[in-house]
Amino acid sequence: MNSILSVSNLSKTYNNIYALNSLSFECNKGEIVSVVGSSGSGKSTLLKLIAGLEIPDNGKIVLKDKPINDESIFVKPEKRDCDIVFQDFSLFPNMTVDENIYFGKNAPNNKSMVGNLVSLANISDTLSRYPHQISGGQQQRVALVRALANNPSLLLMDEPLSHLDSALKEKVRSELLSILKKLDMTVLIVTHDAEDALTISDKTIVLNQGRLEQVDTPRNIYKYPKSEYVARLFGKTNILPLKLMPGSKHSFKQKSSDNKMVSVRPHQLIIESGTNSSLPKIKGQITNIFNNGHSYNVEAKCEDLVFMAEIKNGSDLKIGETVTFSIELD
Amino acid sequence: MVIFSISSFSSNWDHITETVLVTYSMNTVALVLGTIFFTLLFGVSSAWVVASYKFPGYKIFKWLLVLPLSIPTYIAAYAYFDILDVFNPFLIWVRSAIGFEAMQLTNNLLVYLLTALVMSSVLYPYVYLLARASFESQGSHFINVARSLGHSGRAVFWKIVLPLSRPAIVAGITLVAMETLSDYGAVKHFGVQTFTYGIFRTWLGMGDLTSALRLAVILMIFTLGILFIEKRIRAQSRFSYKSATSSFEKIKVGGKKSIFPLVVCSIPVVFGFMIPFFRMISWAWFSKNYIAEISVFQLASNTLLVAIIVSVSTVLLSILLGFSSKYFKSKIIYTSNRLASLGYSTPGAVIAMGALILVGYLSDTFNILLSGTLFLLFFAYIVRFLAVAYQPIESGFEKNCEDLNNASKTLGSSPMRSLYKLNLPLIKNTIIAAGLLVFVDATKELPLTLILRPFNFETLATATFDLSNQAQIIESSIPSLFIIFMTLIPIIYLNSRIGEER
Amino acid sequence: MFKKFTEKTGIEINIVKGSADQLIQRLISEGENSPADILLTVDAGRLYRAKEVGLLQPIRSRMLYRNIPSSLRDPDNEWFALTVRARVIVYSKERVSQDDLSTYEDLASSKWKGRIAVRSSSNIYNQSLMASLIEANGKKKALDWAKAVRLNMARAPRGSDRDQARAVAAGIADIAIMNTYYIGKLASSSDPKDREVVKKVAIFFPNQKNRGTHINISGAGVTKSAKNKENAIKFLEFLSSAESQDVFGSINFEYPVKIANNKSDLLKSWGSFKSDKLNLSILGKRNSDAVKLFDKAGWE
Repeated sequence: MNSILSVSNLSKTYNNIYALNSLSFECNKGEIVSVVGSSGSGKSTLLKLIAGLEIPDNGKIVLKDKPINDESIFVKPEKRDCDIVFQDFSLFPNMTVDENIYFGKNAPNNKSMVGNLVSLANISDTLSRYPHQISGGQQQRVALVRALANNPSLLLMDEPLSHLDSALKEKVRSELLSILKKLDMTVLIVTHDAEDALTISDKTIVLNQGRLEQVDTPRNIYKYPKSEYVARLFGKTNILPLKLMPGSKHSFKQKSSDNKMVSVRPHQLIIESGTNSSLPKIKGQITNIFNNGHSYNVEAKCEDLVFMAEIKNGSDLKIGETVTFSIELD
Repeated sequence: MVIFSISSFSSNWDHITETVLVTYSMNTVALVLGTIFFTLLFGVSSAWVVASYKFPGYKIFKWLLVLPLSIPTYIAAYAYFDILDVFNPFLIWVRSAIGFEAMQLTNNLLVYLLTALVMSSVLYPYVYLLARASFESQGSHFINVARSLGHSGRAVFWKIVLPLSRPAIVAGITLVAMETLSDYGAVKHFGVQTFTYGIFRTWLGMGDLTSALRLAVILMIFTLGILFIEKRIRAQSRFSYKSATSSFEKIKVGGKKSIFPLVVCSIPVVFGFMIPFFRMISWAWFSKNYIAEISVFQLASNTLLVAIIVSVSTVLLSILLGFSSKYFKSKIIYTSNRLASLGYSTPGAVIAMGALILVGYLSDTFNILLSGTLFLLFFAYIVRFLAVAYQPIESGFEKNCEDLNNASKTLGSSPMRSLYKLNLPLIKNTIIAAGLLVFVDATKELPLTLILRPFNFETLATATFDLSNQAQIIESSIPSLFIIFMTLIPIIYLNSRIGEER
Repeated sequence: MFKKFTEKTGIEINIVKGSADQLIQRLISEGENSPADILLTVDAGRLYRAKEVGLLQPIRSRMLYRNIPSSLRDPDNEWFALTVRARVIVYSKERVSQDDLSTYEDLASSKWKGRIAVRSSSNIYNQSLMASLIEANGKKKALDWAKAVRLNMARAPRGSDRDQARAVAAGIADIAIMNTYYIGKLASSSDPKDREVVKKVAIFFPNQKNRGTHINISGAGVTKSAKNKENAIKFLEFLSSAESQDVFGSINFEYPVKIANNKSDLLKSWGSFKSDKLNLSILGKRNSDAVKLFDKAGWE
């Protein structure tokens, strides 16, 4: 493995509260790694520590085999071989797009590479304009090109898509991914949006109150969350007791009750036409039905357990009816 | 006024153009440039340090740095009346080491330098306040991105932070330039012959109103020139950006590293406020027997009267103008707004001359005597300070009340009821702030009052000027201190309000 | 002094203080409605101007005529001198010998290059001195004089008369042109630095061998609009009386209108002198010429 970034035992406190608590992980060459967590999980602090905009209390950061932070070393942000893209893009409003792109210290030495980037990102028409004169999607790409033009070993991105409206978001996301993959760039993306993490990254790190909660491929994290926190972070889910489905590949202890639980996504609950399948079952009385166009979101109650199922053919269901749901495990 | 001054015949005018006009112009330009230079130095550096570092006492400095606003330029000049004498040994050394011409040259340079320094030591808060607000509104993302792109902190300051704040800083500089053009007391004391100086000399010394008026017109052209340059510079900044969503993160510094920000902030505070203030306190103590003799409480109540009447009437007028322009969306009122804002950039002496002309015309036509009345003085004050109250009040109406007024109209409320029930409570704080701004300016005002005050009517400002003019600078500290105290309270209040809004 | 007058006569006095030029401007604009009875100010030039714009009225008073020499009052008796000050040369005891000093005209000599301290030409005392030089030597010579003196100045003119003495004491200049009473004020100042200044300098009365030292006055006139004319005259007579004249010297360090009657020890210590007998209204008449010549000479 070819490690670009290695973080070990990184800690940072603000007013005696841990923003990051002994965090360790690695990013390998060409990997897109996402850092996911709710607000206050410490993900933005992590980015600032790597960029050199904050000084850690403890721990070590190694970038391309060169320590940039440990007990005796602090490399200034301008000397670090990494660049950052903020969620507001932070294009310098007093400079044209062209001036913005060539602002990086290394950019003027890599004219041909920058030229390629500009055509790759399809922003050649905007070069002579000012940032406020171009669209949000263009601004995003300019910010990306500006960072890449400086030829960094590691690209840091802070919520790169959260500023865009949802229609634009998907398009920009796929453009972004294709550019980064073409360049074989190593990227660390901080996001609160699990969907971004799922679609873009090769590896996902979940942070909770400054601690590492889980590291895995995004697919695995979605399917096999290690805690209720992770499960809920990655979309709608039902936290059901493990005893209902002993065959489950994953489970976690619920913090409050110490019971072993399983995350079951709404689409994993189905209503079978036959009755004799071997799938685990749960009976519930329907309390609410919402039609969202392509399927029915069914809210049901089984004793004090409330759960939500996404049913394709739910037109016959009625509120108050008691139904048996089957649980599809992988 | 222009017409009057050109059509009137004056035998002295040719003489003035031949002899002193060039001197006045050059001195004015040199003094304005020098003052701008030092206000930039003090204002921008302290604003940057306060905005970007957390050093011991940064919160105190944030408001200490504003205090020099309470000291008008003429009082600063009196507080430093003997500053030139400090350099006597140096001058003598220059004469013995280099020669007499070198000493004269050094002395001339020192006069400009020190006058500019003394003026900037109390004018820099205009730049400081606007620059600080601009720095803070940038957020720290621009800086962080620029640093991660490989530029050092210093390079980032020059390439990003400063260019982005240019419009705000230019606005601050323009205010400083206006104050410099307007000043009479300080230039008179240090013997720098500017246009305002020339107006007083020509009118009072030579008794030539017409020539003084022409000088006033030239001064007005200077002022318009500066406003034009400001507009050009601001137009060049073609960028626009919304205030950043990210806050401006302060860098925490302590120990040895806090020395630099402490020094940068202390210099303007010490020279702009501490030294003048404590010198005056000690002088006032020396001359405390004098308090009764100059009946300073009478002076203070006169000043208070003028300042209160002027601030209340400018505020009322501004509410009326601002509300009607917003409510009825009238073009004429919009134009009057532009005109009113010109009043503030017009030097006090010019306004006073204009008022005298107007009065002369009125008394010729209608045979009423207005000259030398309080009425005339108030009128001139209102012309000068209307913009100070109008601009915040107008933007208050714009920000808060536009949609509500439309709603109120559809609900069938009368304009007066909308104003009274809806708009005034909403912008109450803005109105108070606007009134206080005018109050501070009116309390400090000198040249206009000097020309227009009625017989036997003295304010603290004119008493300060007269006393120091009679070489009783030590005694002049008594009215000076009253001015400082009267303006200090509103200034501290206004500054704390700026803090709250952020 | 005002109190004494009230005690003696029962007449109350209301005082309006202000800079002289502004007082005059104010009286002009007040016109007939002005509440002022007396204009009391320094410098004959200003009183002349007040007369010219018609602010004053002629006064008939034997006592005033007797007490005040004719050169020290208006030819039409519209204003009267109350005290006299001389514009003298103050020199450094250390660096200047009294023998080097002679006349105002001599100040133009190149031996004074870089050694003279004097205040701005905006000041009426300088304007009046210049007016007397125009009267004595003619416009052209006066202009040449001003040009030469400007070149001889140690520094560009600024500050008050006191500052000129301070400059001599500090060593910036060797001689200064200033009014006598300022030395008195410095000598009695509460600031020890000022008293130190006086110890380092001496007073020289120029032009003793010809027309005499240039003098000026503080004086007064009764306004045209005066509502209490008789009381106003009484007040002027009181100020011109020997009783009042004797105390001026110790109050404001000025000479009585009859200079020889001077009673103050400090003033006596400066020595007696011969004064220019020019009628002081000439100073007013020549004032605007003086200002213009100063401007032409580049004397700021």
